[in-house]
Order: sequence, then C-alpha cells, then structure tokens
Amino acid sequence: MKNKLYLAVLFLVALIVYTACKKEDKIDDPNGGKNGNDFIYDPTPYEFNFPGYFPTILNIPDDNPMTVEGVELGRYLFYDGRLSGRTHPDSLMSCGTCHIQEHAFTTGINHPVYTGGHPFGLTGIPTPQLTMPLVNLVFNNNGYLWNGMIHEDNPNLGSAAYGVEPLPEFHMRNIESLVWMGIVAPHEMYGSVEQTVNLIASIDMYAPKFQAAFGTPEVTYERISKAIAQFIRSLVSFDSRFDKYLRGELQLTEQELHGFVLFSTESGADCFHCHGGAQNPLWTTNLFYNNAKDSVFTSQTDPRDRYAVTGNPKDRGAYKAPTLRNVELTAPYMHDGRFETLEEVIDFYSDQLVYSPYAHSLMHKLPDGGARLNPNEKESLLAFIKSLTDHNFVTNPDFSKPDDLP
Amino acid sequence: MNRLYILVVVMAAFLISCDKDDPIENGNDTKEPTGKIQIHFIHNVDGDPLVTHSMQYTNAAGNEYEIDEVQWFISDVFLHREDGTFYRIEGWKDIHYVDIDIPSTLKWQVFDDIPAGDYSGISFTFGLNEAQNESFKFVNPPESFMFWPTVLGGGYHYLKLNGKWKDTVGATRFFNFHLGIGQEITATDTTYIHNHFEVDFDTSNFTLQEGEKKDVYITMNIENWFKNPHIYDHNVWGGDIMENQAAMAVASENGHDVFSLSFGCCDE
Repeated sequence: MKNKLYLAVLFLVALIVYTACKKEDKIDDPNGGKNGNDFIYDPTPYEFNFPGYFPTILNIPDDNPMTVEGVELGRYLFYDGRLSGRTHPDSLMSCGTCHIQEHAFTTGINHPVYTGGHPFGLTGIPTPQLTMPLVNLVFNNNGYLWNGMIHEDNPNLGSAAYGVEPLPEFHMRNIESLVWMGIVAPHEMYGSVEQTVNLIASIDMYAPKFQAAFGTPEVTYERISKAIAQFIRSLVSFDSRFDKYLRGELQLTEQELHGFVLFSTESGADCFHCHGGAQNPLWTTNLFYNNAKDSVFTSQTDPRDRYAVTGNPKDRGAYKAPTLRNVELTAPYMHDGRFETLEEVIDFYSDQLVYSPYAHSLMHKLPDGGARLNPNEKESLLAFIKSLTDHNFVTNPDFSKPDDLP
Repeated sequence: MNRLYILVVVMAAFLISCDKDDPIENGNDTKEPTGKIQIHFIHNVDGDPLVTHSMQYTNAAGNEYEIDEVQWFISDVFLHREDGTFYRIEGWKDIHYVDIDIPSTLKWQVFDDIPAGDYSGISFTFGLNEAQNESFKFVNPPESFMFWPTVLGGGYHYLKLNGKWKDTVGATRFFNFHLGIGQEITATDTTYIHNHFEVDFDTSNFTLQEGEKKDVYITMNIENWFKNPHIYDHNVWGGDIMENQAAMAVASENGHDVFSLSFGCCDE
C-alpha cells in the first residue's frame, strides 16, 4: 500500500511539473481553433552575420528582442501603405514611401513625387529635414534623426516640434519611437495610432503574422512599432567593395587607394575623424558636428539643430555626421539637401568652408577654406567614397517590399 | 523501511556534496587582508577646473586658446612597493578610455581586491604600449572612434585634444593635438615611432588599509602639454600633427609632468 502511495505521489508531482512547463508555450490558435491545432509560440531568434570588424554591441531594447517572425512582420508593415490608417489610394503612406531601398533607404534625388529628394507628408506639409539612411542603425548608440532628438536618455514624452502629443505611451527614445512619430507627425502620415491599429487589425493576413511574432494575434501600436523597429535594425550593410577589400576578397584600384589615403590623413581631406574608416566600418561616429556650412546659426536658421536638443551653445548648427556607407545613392546631401551631387560636397570640403564661432574644432582646415584638393585628388576621393556602396544591400530581397503586398 | 533508509542516505550525500564548494574555515586560514582602489580622472588648466569652448587660457608660448574635447587612453597601471616589487590587479589589465564628454569614463570602476599594505607609488602608460596598440583591438564605440589610420601606423590615438587658438593676427584657428604612432619617412622606407610614455608616480607613498576603498585621482594639467621642457607654439606647429613626428615628439616629451596624483576617500 505504501509503495503504491509513494508511486502515486511521484507520478502526480511529475504531471504537475510537465503541465506547468507546457502551459507557458501553448497559446490559442489564431484562427479560433478552426485548424484543430493549438498554436505553440516559439519564435526564432534573429541572427546577424556581419564581419568580425563590426561592432559587437548591438542597440536592441530588452523589451523588443529580434526574431525572424518579428522582422518579417516589420517588413510587411514597413512597406504597407495602410500604415497611414487610410485606404484611399491617394492616402496610402508607409515608411517605405520615403525610405527607398535603392537609395539606401533615403528618399533619393530622383523620386517621382518628392522632387529633389525633399519629402512631404500626406497633407502636403514639407518634411523639415531630409530622410536619413536606414542602415546599420542596430550599431548606433548616439541617437536618431539629424539632431539626435530621439535618444536613450530622453525623458520627454512626445515632441511638439514633430507634432507628437506628450502622451505616456509616446516615449522618444529609440527606433520604436520613430514609428509612431511617423504615423502622427503632420509632415509625415498625419494620422492617429488608433486609426492605424484598427485598419491593420482588419486585414486578415496580419493576425497570423502578429501571432507568430508576439504570441497572440492582437494588433497594438506598440507591437506595430516594435515589429517595424526590428525590421529596421535588420538593415545591416557590410558588403561594399571596400568591405571586400578589407576581407581580402578583391583589390581596390590605384585611384580608390589614393582616395582612401586622402580620406584617412590630416594632410589629405581628413574625413576619417567624423566619418570613420577601416576600423570604424560604420563610416560615421553618429555624433554631431558643425561642419562650417554657414556663418550664422540661430533658432530661426536652424530650428532643429543639435542645440535644439541640448540647449548648449556649442551645438549651434551641429548635425549628425551621416554614414558614408552607400552615400553614392543618398543624394541630395546635408540635412537640408543643399548639395545635389557628391562632387559638390567634395568641392565644399575642399574650398568652401565658412567660419563661424560654432564650427567644430575638428574643422582645422577651415582657415584655408578647406582641404584644397586638386582635381586629381577630388576624383580619387570620389572613387574611394563610391567603393563604400553596397549593391547587395540595396537589392537584398530580405529588405524589399513583399510581393504579396498591394 | 529500507527505501526510507536509502532516501535518507542519498539526501545526506547530496547535502554533503553541495557543501563541498563552501570555504572550509580552519585555524590555518591565512586570507590576506585587502582593500580596493578606484581611479578618478580630472582635467584642469594650471589648477583651475577645465572650462570647455571658452577662449580663456594662454599657454607658455603666449597663444590664447580654448579646449573643446579631451579623449585619451590609459593602460598598464601598476602599484609599486618599496622593495621594488609591483602589483597589478586584473581590472587594470584592461585599457581604459577617458572622455570628458562621457562622465562614466571619468571613473575607472574595478572591483578586484588589492592586498592591504604600504605602497611606494603608481605607474601607468599614457596611451597604449607597442604590443597592445593593434588595429581592430576595439570594435565598439567610443574606443573604436579613436582609431589611428593604418596608413599612419595603425592602432589608436593615445590622445585627442581638440580646441582653438588665436593666431598672430588674432584670427581663430583650430588645433587637433593628436598623439599616436608617428612616421619617419625616407625615400625608401617608413619607420613608425611609438610615442606612448610611462608616467611614474614613484614617490607617492600611501597605505591601503584593510577594507578601505581608496580613491586615487589622476589629474591632467592640460597647460603642461604646451611647456617644459619645450614651449609648444600652435603658430609653429599648426592645427594638425598626426603626420608631424617632430611635433608629437615635443608633445610626448612635455607629457612627463602633465599628470599628477592625489588621494582622497569616501566620495560616495
């Protein structure tokens, strides 16, 4: 009798343990059980495959780990014009409307609607600054947008300057924040998150995708922003000609190598202090510099400069140094798009720097007007910069609009 | 009954085996008394706290100047004893990056225990020594932003000291006082010069008490980069010196009295 009781207790304990373990993974079928199967939430962790010379510290929020399913959902939402919360063909807008893959996810100077690469919102309100490239942002820990207004330590909710209400749910700290900012900002979709959530929830194909990504089919603004942020973090570029040169897979031309030396020396063009190099393959520090474009900087001339974020006078006229990876594809240039070609940019840094008290001290060539490159040097520098273009990145189908999206 | 006996024996064995990892105290326990040391970094100009982005300093050459950014590496920190022996904790085997714009870098947090007792001094390497100064050693910012281009010798800047000065006609110019590997170029060859140097506070006797957390303050007097033994004139050396070994040699030789050591305690 004692033996039987002993065995029965053991069996009961084992059963409780087994049941408790299984329960956590089992979630109701998204189709209400009509398939006759229970859904097991078991997302696949997303794995990056970048070279060893890339940073190892990734900026992925603890509450939004990347999964294959989350990235895939994000890809659909990134490109789905119904993200605007509207269905009329003239009112569709998504992230992908202005962030074009072939332009390294900037708008591109040849955009058929946004003339000269200057986007505007659904109601025609111009976007105050150019779109920044969405590339290698998973390695960026120094804030987002040209002035870094979105950053990890930002205590503010919403942003009056960008038309986002100061509601508790609208923190301004990371890529997730940029998503809902895009939905509500007047110069972008000018919608409401409720409208967007309701519309996305009404589209049949999304329920299983939300379930696969987050465990249940529920659509929330938080999940939408998390999924899109996961997709944006997956946009990693590491396969330019220069990357292949670094990996010993090809040899650069003499002209490209000459340009690299100019890029990497103070006696040359001294680009590397702000824009990286072989040992900083992000090709930016993601920091903010006044690069001597103008002589006067005020809150009228530069209402969204770094000063608007820090309030520190040294930051007047300072903007984030954009990555030079794929810069061949991201014209026009500077935060305001004042230069249409890379040749114009090189001419500027060579001969057209303008003094102001706010110019960053790394602009040591300013008293001479710039680097004073001769035509041959300018061509070499340009050839090198073009070696930073990653054609695989801008054609990668994993980053493209899904074929089955309308 | 037999089963119950077996169960008791197994549980007893399990408990004993778990106990094994615990330290066994006995009369011969000779655990060394220890304390901790925390290094703080201070930047000043001739004793006054550094004020950045303000043209308020004058160096020994008479240059009016301002400092905007200070970023540097410290490595190879050692504690020395009177008998000539030295000691280094695990945490100090790392290379530490100091940046006046990143407050967390101004305190080197290490948690290793250090034998209590009398010490005769502390030494460290300004920058990185030749063996450690390898390209791609750091792949993560902000350290990776300190890279020194391969074409100039590779590795990392020991120091970026960025600022502005008034030239001989009163115009504002920009200096990037950057130290790292220098180059001596001949018609046939390039020789790389390692400009790092050791800073040795060999007469800074101190005692680390058991259980004490001693705060050590390493102060960089920025003005001293520009004097003693050489007067460093920005108008002579110009705004950029990464490819000017003569300028970097002068700077390195001036570095011997840039740093000072002091002690404090209980700042937290």
